[in-house]
Amino acid sequence: MFNRKKFDWVLASLLIILIVMGCIAIYSASTTIIGKHHSTQNHWWKQIIFAIISLSAILLLLKLPMPIFDILIVPLFIANMLALIGVLFVPAAHGAHRWFSFLGLSYQPSESAKLLSVLLVARVITKENLTELQQVAYGFGIMVVPIVLILMEPDFGTSLVFVFSLLAMLIAADVPFYYILIIVSPVLSIVSSLHWIAVVVWILLFVYLLIRMGLSWVTITICGVINVFLALIMPIFWNGLKAYQQERILTFIDPTRDPLGAGYQIIQAKIAIGSGGFAGKGWLMGTQKNMNFLPEHHTDFIFSVIGEEFGFLGSVLVLTVFALFFWRMAHAIPEIKVKERKVATAGILAYLMIQTFINIGMNVGIVPVTGVPLLFISYGGSSLLINSLAVGVVLKYLNERGFIK
Amino acid sequence: MNRSTSALYLRVILCLLFLFLFGALFRLQVIKGSYYRRIAENNFVRIRRVTATRGEIYDVKYRPIVINIPSHDLYLISGKVKNIDALGLFLKTHFGIEKEELHDLIFQQRFKTYEEIMLVDNISYETMLTLSEKLNYFPELVFRSGTTREYLYPNHFTGYVGRINEDEFRRYRQEDYSLNGYIGKGGLEKYYEILLRGKDGKQIIQVDARGQNLGFFRTDADVAPLNGLSLVLSIDNDLQTFVQECFPPGSRGAIVVSNIEDGGILAYASNPCYDPNVFMQRISPDLWAELNRPERPLLDRASQGAYPPGSVFKPVTAAEGLEAGIINRNTLLAPCGGGLKIGNRFFKCWSSSGHGRTNVVDALRVSCDVFFYDLISRIPLDDAWRHAVSCGVVNRTGIDLPGERAGLYPNTEWFKKRLGRAGSLQGYKANLSIGQGEVLTTPLQMNAFYAAIARGGYWIQPHFLVRTLGRGRVSREQVQPLDKHSFGWSQSTLKAIQDGLWAVTNAPGGTGRAFNVAGVTTYGKTGSAENAMGKITHAWFCGYIVAEKPEIVITVFLENAGGGGAVAAPIASRIANYYVGNIDRFKAPAPIPDQFRDLEDEAEDEAEEAFPYQGPYEEPAAVTPVEEAG
Repeated sequence: MFNRKKFDWVLASLLIILIVMGCIAIYSASTTIIGKHHSTQNHWWKQIIFAIISLSAILLLLKLPMPIFDILIVPLFIANMLALIGVLFVPAAHGAHRWFSFLGLSYQPSESAKLLSVLLVARVITKENLTELQQVAYGFGIMVVPIVLILMEPDFGTSLVFVFSLLAMLIAADVPFYYILIIVSPVLSIVSSLHWIAVVVWILLFVYLLIRMGLSWVTITICGVINVFLALIMPIFWNGLKAYQQERILTFIDPTRDPLGAGYQIIQAKIAIGSGGFAGKGWLMGTQKNMNFLPEHHTDFIFSVIGEEFGFLGSVLVLTVFALFFWRMAHAIPEIKVKERKVATAGILAYLMIQTFINIGMNVGIVPVTGVPLLFISYGGSSLLINSLAVGVVLKYLNERGFIK
Repeated sequence: MNRSTSALYLRVILCLLFLFLFGALFRLQVIKGSYYRRIAENNFVRIRRVTATRGEIYDVKYRPIVINIPSHDLYLISGKVKNIDALGLFLKTHFGIEKEELHDLIFQQRFKTYEEIMLVDNISYETMLTLSEKLNYFPELVFRSGTTREYLYPNHFTGYVGRINEDEFRRYRQEDYSLNGYIGKGGLEKYYEILLRGKDGKQIIQVDARGQNLGFFRTDADVAPLNGLSLVLSIDNDLQTFVQECFPPGSRGAIVVSNIEDGGILAYASNPCYDPNVFMQRISPDLWAELNRPERPLLDRASQGAYPPGSVFKPVTAAEGLEAGIINRNTLLAPCGGGLKIGNRFFKCWSSSGHGRTNVVDALRVSCDVFFYDLISRIPLDDAWRHAVSCGVVNRTGIDLPGERAGLYPNTEWFKKRLGRAGSLQGYKANLSIGQGEVLTTPLQMNAFYAAIARGGYWIQPHFLVRTLGRGRVSREQVQPLDKHSFGWSQSTLKAIQDGLWAVTNAPGGTGRAFNVAGVTTYGKTGSAENAMGKITHAWFCGYIVAEKPEIVITVFLENAGGGGAVAAPIASRIANYYVGNIDRFKAPAPIPDQFRDLEDEAEDEAEEAFPYQGPYEEPAAVTPVEEAG
């Protein structure tokens, strides 16, 4: 079932380039140079092994007959949800229950949950004879399970990724845009409640857009009232909280408020990247990784090492490769004719893209969210394997694009 | 909708997001690049750990036993190292740090922490002065002042602290230890690590060379350190010092003196002793050999060594006979003619001339072995075992020291495993009855047992900690409730045993008459235990004195020193006389010194939730004796 002519060599090559860049960065991140002496931890060759395993897994996936692949999704999803429940009972590492670890390997169930949830939602919402309302309801019904479980870990960043991929899938499944607007409206109402002018502007804009989209007056009234209510009740609810509860919520959303915890890393990443300047300090020559960092910069903060050592040029090169990669993946959507697969591809693309944005955004200090590794570049076997498999799924769909259901 | 609309949407979003990132990178690296480079190179933004002061240890009269003293330490900032070879040479010349050691420190520690690395602690002031100038060539080295421990006298209960090692650092990952920090390695320092340690603070440093706040973080996020709690022990420094000097020169053994009223330990000595201060510096190979010589100065013989108790064990057997109703106070058992034939084996009494027929009180007085051989032959082994366990001479006492050893008293199951058969155990039992054979006890267990007899058959877990001082006042009961229970003996049993012990030290023919203290009533039991360590017996004496009420219980144990009555009892007598001679001083209530009061007043202001404040200080009301001695 591997079709040489239909295989997307460009997408696969971009994937491999990203993985290689990752290994180079990981090597540097786990190396200390003092004078003439240097010492490297073994992360980089572990990552190479993970990369070989991941690429082989893609090949296996391509060879896997489609019917078997289709059958596997539901049981795997259920097993994954159980793993998400189980991981909450594992003792916390770095303040969160995210990892299962054994024999020096660690597995993060929220990684595989992203891919499996996307595949399951894509299947369910593209069933025939569903009303639009049913599509939205089913999509939400499925996604809310992993989102709630992952928020409990707690991992705000990863939950956010789920929401974005769901929205992308709903759009790809031809759900009219006003549904999306109505879905996100409560969040925007809550955010706007910070200032009364924002509330007024937002509610007016919201109602205007709904009118433009030709909705019935009943629907518009109900949505408007709910959102006004939310915007008004929020400040009362917020002031009802104790100071430490407010602080806890704020820190959850914005870790830089906790400089002795995750916030410290975020600031140090920003300093490291900034100090790289235009051309960078050169490979292995970064100093910040030796000085003030907690020793975990080969995972979520790998971009800070790239930014410091390869400067603006290197950072932009990585950004460009990522952009080409996503552009190419977007190219696949119109090629795939089966609706379920088309929607799944949109979901995969959306979650990979948002994840990249959150991670790099966190490193440069514009997105105050932690817990999301950088695709294909951060050190970590389970994340590399799952993300590669996600690309593998898209490659597989492309490979079988002649088949029309 | 058009087929590629969703692809278009996603591409638009892609462009927006990446343009955003591009812009942020441009601003950070191109526009403000030199600003961040300056911050990075000068290490302007960092977190500094503010070490909490470790709690000190005081005796019952608030006199110091372990205190903190200032020290000078040498730190390495690994990120600033330029020439590791020159640094290695420097450190080797002045501090004897090998090159490999330095490499390990730098390369391994850096993957664990971003802190500076403490290379050498407790550097003398002179060394620091002479080296200060040379440090100009090594910007990566810096002297910092800290604190270290001083142990005011050699002893076996305080233990000592040491630098945290790899293993401990991993094990206590969640506890936020610094790799430069100290951790209790033995004794009370280890047992009460959690109380003593406190919690380090964190300080955010974010000022540039001109002292201007760089404003990366909220400034109010600093965390102040919480200092550790100081311990007040039941130890009395005067008595402790006196007791330590009571050991005959060159002897090996242990002496435990405890307070009958509350079970607190007044003096706790093991000989030969060692000075915990030696662990505060690098230990030279010579010193290490000295500490590991065959006499084993590091061994705490009071609670970590278990020995055959010999005749001091006899009250355990006697009480079982009385409680089981096999004998009463006046029952005469088999006549002693220098021994007793059990099965086809002849068991000798220590006195070859024999004691004739005796009752339990006389048997204790003259320490007749035959009486106990005959008695235990009428008791099933497992009953005797259960009784020994209930007397607290088998299981660990639960004293607040790490590494306590349990005693041993075999039961049928034990013999089955050991011998592979369950034949007649009469011969083994005979030995057990007089504290020989398989029986092993620690001096501490014996001390607690005799204290329980003095208390009227009420056992209290022996312990050091009375309360804490400093940031919060926590009593021993709040830290960990003491195990207290009654033996459940009848008054007649108790009376018979106590009379026997009185006869030992007072009546003619008593083996312990050397335990002679004017003005108080003395009780005691001698023991001369045969053992596998040598031909000469272990000398034992356990005794207590009663003035208006039971005062102190003394256990003296000397390895291979001879007879208990001749060797151990006189030492116990000296200690008891010293105590009685200074009884007013020992019993005088000690007011809490002003400096601690101040500390606690401060603590009151920032009352800690973890350590509930106990209200204004009151002298602890005299604990009413739980049961009057019968």
